[in-house]
Amino acid sequence: MPILSFFRELYRYREMLKNLINRELRTRYKASVIGFLWTFINPLIMLVVYTTFFSIIARGAAIQPYSIFLFCALLPWIYFQTGVQTSTVSIVGNANLVKKVYFPNELLPLATVMASLVNYLLGLLILIPADFIFGVHLNFSVVFFVPIVIVQSILILGFSYWLSALNVFFRDVEHITGVIFTAWFYITPVMYQMELIPPEYRGLYMLNPMTPITLAYRDIFLYGRIPDLGSLFKVAVGGCILMISGLMAFRKMRKRFAEEL
Amino acid sequence: MFVMPQIIVENVSKRFRLYQERNMTLKDFFVHRKGHRWEEFWALKDVNLEVERGEMVALLGRNGSGKSTLLKLLTRILYPDFGVTQVKGRVSSLLELGAGFHPEFTGRENIFMNASIFGLTRSEIEERYDEIVKFSELEDFINYPVRSYSSGMYMRLAFSVAISVEPDVLLIDEILAVGDAGFQAKCLERIRSLKRSGKTIVLVTHDTSVVERMCDRALWLNKGRVEALGISREVVSEYLNFVADEEGNRHNEENVKSSTEKEELNQTVEAQMDEKRPEEQRKGNRAVEITKVTIASPEGREQASFRTGAALMIEIHYLAYVETEDPVFGIGIVRSDGVHCYGVNTDIDSMRLPDLQAGQRGIVRFIVEKLHLLNGTYRLSVACHSRDGLPYDYHTEMYTFNVDSITRDVGVGRLEHRWVIE
Repeated sequence: MPILSFFRELYRYREMLKNLINRELRTRYKASVIGFLWTFINPLIMLVVYTTFFSIIARGAAIQPYSIFLFCALLPWIYFQTGVQTSTVSIVGNANLVKKVYFPNELLPLATVMASLVNYLLGLLILIPADFIFGVHLNFSVVFFVPIVIVQSILILGFSYWLSALNVFFRDVEHITGVIFTAWFYITPVMYQMELIPPEYRGLYMLNPMTPITLAYRDIFLYGRIPDLGSLFKVAVGGCILMISGLMAFRKMRKRFAEEL
Repeated sequence: MFVMPQIIVENVSKRFRLYQERNMTLKDFFVHRKGHRWEEFWALKDVNLEVERGEMVALLGRNGSGKSTLLKLLTRILYPDFGVTQVKGRVSSLLELGAGFHPEFTGRENIFMNASIFGLTRSEIEERYDEIVKFSELEDFINYPVRSYSSGMYMRLAFSVAISVEPDVLLIDEILAVGDAGFQAKCLERIRSLKRSGKTIVLVTHDTSVVERMCDRALWLNKGRVEALGISREVVSEYLNFVADEEGNRHNEENVKSSTEKEELNQTVEAQMDEKRPEEQRKGNRAVEITKVTIASPEGREQASFRTGAALMIEIHYLAYVETEDPVFGIGIVRSDGVHCYGVNTDIDSMRLPDLQAGQRGIVRFIVEKLHLLNGTYRLSVACHSRDGLPYDYHTEMYTFNVDSITRDVGVGRLEHRWVIE
């Protein structure tokens, strides 16, 4: 079972995983003066810009408060996008390590995804006070955050394993994903409401796994209601299939990593 | 009781594809269908080897013979195309020291990172931390980022971490290129003590004297095939004969070649040396510069391997930039494990050299009629300095030659002797 031996090695190399995540987080802002604070400042500035723009300049957006509406969907989208994109290059970017030392290479995409997750969670530290400031009352529905973020992470890992391994053999993969994400952003209800989509396209629209996830986050962080668990469950099943197949494909391709890098 | 070997290599072959164009793009793959422009190259062919627990085996062979590929297969960085490799227990490989070091992080942080790559847990690393630092002799620098380290310090830290893993199987590639002679001797001593404690060790080295002194068996690879496998002393002597023959052939061919080609060849040899030897091995004010050093037979044929008892000539080409009185030329020979074997200069030999004029070029030849050194790799230093010791140009351990012996006496040098039996 690939998944079992994966967890065994994961456990044995847990210290390395921790260090890789740590390195990922620290090198991102290394040599900058305020360092790790950037993790907070980026989403904070984003929030300020959106609030200013939509409440002063482009007033009359139908949804209020629009900045929360946007922000609570944008943070998980950024997690999705940076998680997949940085892990896609994680094997190629660590060629030095992969070519020279034995270790379970599966750790590399995992570590980059986990580092993106940490950044996302830190972003929530901005979102939650903002909720209060804008008068949005959080209720018990936030407990669904845990299953939603787990489903999302599984989905991201599924993409990461496939793409990071393929990118070793075809370096275009990293560029193609960049293009795809730009388009993908617009077919996900991050900036607008789902209701904008004509009903005849809704079925198709829901095939985008990020749609149920985005809607679920908005349910708990903006509307204070229980998310649609049915559609979330479908994403979970799809995500698991993607991740297990990705892991298997990764382990098969891994044997030729050192030669191809 | 039947004991399974610690390492099994069974009919292993490994093929590399040398792409004409690296990094195929998807367009090439789908549109042009040109995914097939490569040449095949068998790095290993039908290799068999079993290593018992506690055994130390050397892999011998010239560059490109497949030694490192075999080590990489054992660590599972590479996987064989045919055959099976099996290694039991925890494996630590000293293939590439310092892989994963981050220049911005301190020595301490890098120890924790690097050791975790070898699969150690936090508590295991903490247990070993003091020992690692002590072994690396970097106590005073451990909280500085490693980018401020010299290459020697960097390697010392890397080796100390790698050796601390306490593996069941240790795979070592060319560690004798690590650090200064003193640290190398320390590394060898540590490897010896690991061997005594029952670890299984596979070692790649060009230093045949280390193979003979430390290894139980040796595997000689030639162009990816097993040429010999057996008691290290026997395999080494076979191997050295082969190398000496090939060397001889090569030199004959070279002599036929035009002189410009020979020049180019020398330049590449020198370039390789420069790459290996940092500038710190050269010092002096260059009032007199040593422009070229060759190790040769007395007939002037450049040579890298000598038999014990053969003649050897060292040619030191110099160029004086300023008028220099009383120059002294000297040489020193150090064995690869740091043993100082011989050193002498023109002053010790009570010679008085004529003063050098500015712009004067010349050659100083040091001729040994009978080279009584035994098996080993030796490093040569040459120097030019004033009589009171002011260095003009020192080349410290910048040149290398091998000595192999057909007799089996041991030690540093052969003492002229006879036996009297009554």
